[in-house]
Amino acid sequence: MSDVSPPLSLELSIPSEFGYERVVREAVASFARRIGLNSERVEDLKTAVSEACLNAIEHGNAQMPEMRVGVNCVWENDGLTIRVLDHGLKRYAGHVAPCIVCKVHGEAPPRGMGLYLIAQLVDTCGFETSPDGGNVLCMRMHTRSMA
Amino acid sequence: MLDDELHVHIREREGVAIIDLVGDVTTFAEEKINGAYNEVSRKGARNILLNFRQNDYINSAGIAILIGVVTEVNRNNQRLAVSGLSQHFQKIFRMVGLAQYIDIYQDEDEAIRGLTAAMA
Repeated sequence: MSDVSPPLSLELSIPSEFGYERVVREAVASFARRIGLNSERVEDLKTAVSEACLNAIEHGNAQMPEMRVGVNCVWENDGLTIRVLDHGLKRYAGHVAPCIVCKVHGEAPPRGMGLYLIAQLVDTCGFETSPDGGNVLCMRMHTRSMA
Repeated sequence: MLDDELHVHIREREGVAIIDLVGDVTTFAEEKINGAYNEVSRKGARNILLNFRQNDYINSAGIAILIGVVTEVNRNNQRLAVSGLSQHFQKIFRMVGLAQYIDIYQDEDEAIRGLTAAMA
């Protein structure tokens, strides 16, 4: 008998309006608790997923409500994988550390910390190629970091 | 639109202007937070405490608003502190570097002690 459990999954689709990312974060948090993430990692995941959805809403779908943001979560034995998909109206990438000094002195815009936060809060993240041309941000939390 | 509801309340304690922030701190909070900061500054506040309560959701747009407040605080030679943040959001504040500019206290009483000691 194999000790490999079948994957558990959750799929969500939201309109591109600010505020709907809160719906996703609560749903994903509930899913994460169900599969056994500890409370600290759930909080990390909530912030990472919110920021990914905000980028998809604001940049990938240019806040066009009729364009949907997709969120797919898959839990397998080696960890949790979450993909956030948009229509790719604008490409965005990179998660350099924000220069807080520049921001405070008005030399850089105060926004633009989302990808950096995501990279800090999950174990791995990166963009994947989408056959439809959209942005696909893939975030992973490994089982060993969840206990 | 699912706009967030942030309740902002201003009060004063031992020479510290306290801005209570109850609710979500997101892009929708900009007008309320900046309005509260401008109001206490107009009244001459030198020490300002952002007292977070029940803030389950602070996102990067909300943090950007706070960076704007830090810019003004530095320009006006004021002192800014925060209290009441969850452990998670204390971590986020340190992650983005805000802790360089804002004193982080666990609760309001600790913040008042810290700010009044700094005034003495």
